Amino acid sequence: MVARRYIDVFETYDRFAEGRRIPEKDWDYVIVPENAKMMKERYDLHFGSNIIPDDPDLIDRLFLAGVDMLLSTGIYNSDLGMVLDLDEDELYEGLKMAPKKLKLGRGKDRVTCKARRGNTLRKPIIQGGPTGAPVSEGIFTSMIQSYAQEPTVDTIVSGVLNTVDGHPATTNTPWEIRATHAEIRYVREATRKAGRPGMCI
Amino acid sequence: MLAGWHDAGDIIMIEQMPILGGYTGGVEETAICDVASSIATFALFNGDIHLDGPIHIRWGVTSSRETMQVAAHAAAALDYNTDLLLGNQFYTMAGPCTEMCLLETAAQAIVDTASGRELLSGVASNKGTVQDKTTALESRIMGEASMAACGMAISDVNKIVDNILAQYEHQYLNPPQSKRFQDCYDVNDLVPSEEYLSVYDRTLETLSECGIDF
Repeated sequence: MVARRYIDVFETYDRFAEGRRIPEKDWDYVIVPENAKMMKERYDLHFGSNIIPDDPDLIDRLFLAGVDMLLSTGIYNSDLGMVLDLDEDELYEGLKMAPKKLKLGRGKDRVTCKARRGNTLRKPIIQGGPTGAPVSEGIFTSMIQSYAQEPTVDTIVSGVLNTVDGHPATTNTPWEIRATHAEIRYVREATRKAGRPGMCI
Repeated sequence: MLAGWHDAGDIIMIEQMPILGGYTGGVEETAICDVASSIATFALFNGDIHLDGPIHIRWGVTSSRETMQVAAHAAAALDYNTDLLLGNQFYTMAGPCTEMCLLETAAQAIVDTASGRELLSGVASNKGTVQDKTTALESRIMGEASMAACGMAISDVNKIVDNILAQYEHQYLNPPQSKRFQDCYDVNDLVPSEEYLSVYDRTLETLSECGIDF
């Protein structure tokens, strides 16, 4: 059936709330492993030794297996204990809504992230940084500045402050919020010091 | 949070790291679930770009042979059939100031680039778990290896990556000692130490022997 429209995050929530109730252990230990194994057999998927696939038929079969997996299994919301279902037309309508190009950052530091289509000569965006690794408060800005001054780095991915004003940035405490604000402030300061104030962070 | 970002018109990156050897099993099953959940990012959650990161249940890295195979197959499947924006993140076993860390990063950058991804995010050296053990030289080699791989034939890339993997995958049980940012960078001038630059140069020589120059 033709989709009414793409599913947005609000409808997704409603569908979870009205979905199928399934215990989390059934989802983890039975439904996902069994369905994934079934898709592997149904689409005859064997990767062999190649790290990167070069068989177009295998590549297409893997895509169809992924679509089939999502449509036949759904997605689990562990907070609600419910599974959402969607149909094929809704899935493809959602993919049509996805952007093919994004502008990241401001001014002369802005870069464009654009669909590449295979191994084209256009290089990917390089997002440099500690990638969520823990970083001491005393060196945080300096460390991020060292990434921002690298010519190959286009945007910044932050690290995690272990402390803020000397206090542990413990989850579910006010210090966690203060640490998050401090991280953003330090990363902005670092890109300014590197002469790239408009970098996407 | 997603609802707020969506209504505010923010760019939304949704991250998901399938665990190879976990609930999803082997490489093929994990890649199937990777494709399915990548699609869900866009079709259900209003994501603008997906950030992947297949991770090895035993090693906790994205740079192993098996996890790179999962990431490359999932990326190729999505790239051939859609125009979705796809990223991948880097978790290496070894840390700063080691050739192993730079080789792991270069191998994954080459794989992610050649399999059609649009964004590379890293590097969480030492698996991203040790305080201050990440530096910008790892991001430098990620960018340089990626640029060198752009446009290469997949058959050539597979041979090069096999050669690079042979240099480091036997070291997973005993990775070399790494250094903190403070110990391999001048924290005032923000330049790498002579020692780390020598390690970087040696890594470029090793990569050249593996079949890629930059």
